[in-house]
Amino acid sequence: MISERLKNIICKELLLDTKSVEINDETQATEVPGWDSLNHANIIVAIEKDYGIRFKGLEVLKCNNVGALQNLIDSKVSK
Amino acid sequence: MLGIDFNKISELLLFDIKDPLLFGSSLFFFLFFGLLLIYRLFAKSNNGRISILIFFSLFVYYKASGIFLLLLILNAIANFGFGKGMGEAKTQAGKRVYLILSLLFNLGLLAYFKYNNFFLQALNDFNFANLELLDILMPLGISFYTFKSLSYILDIYLEMMEPTDSFRDYFLFVSFFPNILSGPIDRAAKFLPQIRKEYFLSNKDIAMALMLIMMGLVKKIMIADYISLNFVDRVFDEPVRFTGVENLLAVYGYALQLYCDFSGYSDIAIGIGLLLGFKLMENFNYPFKAKSISDFWKRWHISLSSWLLDYVFRPLQIGLRDWRKAGNITALIITFVLVGFWHEASWAFLFWGLLHGIFMAFGLLVQGPKRKFYLKYKLNNSKIFGAFQIFITFNLVAFSFIFFKANNFESALDVLKQIVFFFKPGVFIQFVESFTPTFILIFFGFFFHFLPSSFSDKMVTLISKMNIIIQAIILTLIIWLVSQVQSADLQPFIYFQF
Repeated sequence: MISERLKNIICKELLLDTKSVEINDETQATEVPGWDSLNHANIIVAIEKDYGIRFKGLEVLKCNNVGALQNLIDSKVSK
Repeated sequence: MLGIDFNKISELLLFDIKDPLLFGSSLFFFLFFGLLLIYRLFAKSNNGRISILIFFSLFVYYKASGIFLLLLILNAIANFGFGKGMGEAKTQAGKRVYLILSLLFNLGLLAYFKYNNFFLQALNDFNFANLELLDILMPLGISFYTFKSLSYILDIYLEMMEPTDSFRDYFLFVSFFPNILSGPIDRAAKFLPQIRKEYFLSNKDIAMALMLIMMGLVKKIMIADYISLNFVDRVFDEPVRFTGVENLLAVYGYALQLYCDFSGYSDIAIGIGLLLGFKLMENFNYPFKAKSISDFWKRWHISLSSWLLDYVFRPLQIGLRDWRKAGNITALIITFVLVGFWHEASWAFLFWGLLHGIFMAFGLLVQGPKRKFYLKYKLNNSKIFGAFQIFITFNLVAFSFIFFKANNFESALDVLKQIVFFFKPGVFIQFVESFTPTFILIFFGFFFHFLPSSFSDKMVTLISKMNIIIQAIILTLIIWLVSQVQSADLQPFIYFQF
């Protein structure tokens, strides 16, 4: 389940209206308008800043959809 | 009794460095037709079918590369082992050991065969040493199969796939003859599951395969070979003997030639794969319709650009994310220099890659203001502005290809000098008169490229509804038509050298 907080961070970074975008566990980056390979790093940095966490490079590379990213955030926050 | 010259047949089938089994040659079609017949006989037996395919793949590679076949086999054994070891490793550190071993093995061999002399020469040129260059022959397709193998290992490391238990399946993935010499650089995660699938071809698959093979032959033999031998090569060999307008047409012609040569090869490879029941990765998607350089790289040599995006750009970008824009730009420049270096170990190719890295970096820097500007003047949906973007992108790409084609920097600069200082637009009429077939082929080449992509879909649907005899007649007609304009010898595919 994707949290509102994560969805808000993504939408804010991509200048998207949260109501007009559907993001679920299976959503891949390429399916979200504007989430391309170039600004991928910006979204990751925005998430790290907002949650006050730090990902390892390999952990981010292993995420193949937003659900995996949410799980990664949850695992960091609960530590 | 039948007058069969067995010596001649064995000569045809034995390794000959100057005579690999080229797609488009009559020997290839003859052998492939035989393979298809036997393959269909074994359609129900997975083991039989795959063994035949492996045997034929080994033959094709042996015919092109002789003893280097052993290197291909060694590559498959080693990477299968690394993958298995990585899958069984209990800890991340253990997995990393297999990753490092695989990188050392694969990149080490690639460096030895492909980049050794470049580095030795560079050491000599910069007066660091005085070393003798090595007399090394590069095994054909090494850049392609090394990258295929590495993607398998990296995908296991990134937990995108599980290693396969079957060496047979892995060996077919590495040696699969349609894509061994020049790609597409397929991914194991997509290829391996197809091996175990039942062999079934729908009417649409057959129509698609025929369409791809026909288009590939037309692109390669009718367009690429013809314009290269009759015009482009002549200008690039001695640019100063031609006016600027002819040099410019040769630059545009070369962009078309390179596209038709490589995408023609890819089309035939994908079509042949499809007839054998395998869907290979798309490699080109109307690249000259791109509206920006980043759009171009989503459409040109897709199997390489997506490989570098996944395994080079992304890790670099994430590693450098604290640098924000500067991190992205550094990752872009490194990735594109590697794109150039992957092609050939030469300064001209490094510069070609760097040029694309600079184009991409510039695009990134102006991304914000550009977005606002387009919104303000409502340019996003303007067809005229779209055509302008396509024109600019095409010219940037064609400009970069001067360094791809020219033998050296001096020759590339001569081409540019002629265009800028000795343009002589009036010569265009003379060019059309004296190079009429070339002009017509260049015109139609671009014309078909810019047709809506739905045109090709409609053709596939049309062919799929045809009777098999009509399909065969059309294929024969195309082969006949192509043979009419074919130059004395089929020209080797440009990407064989990489």
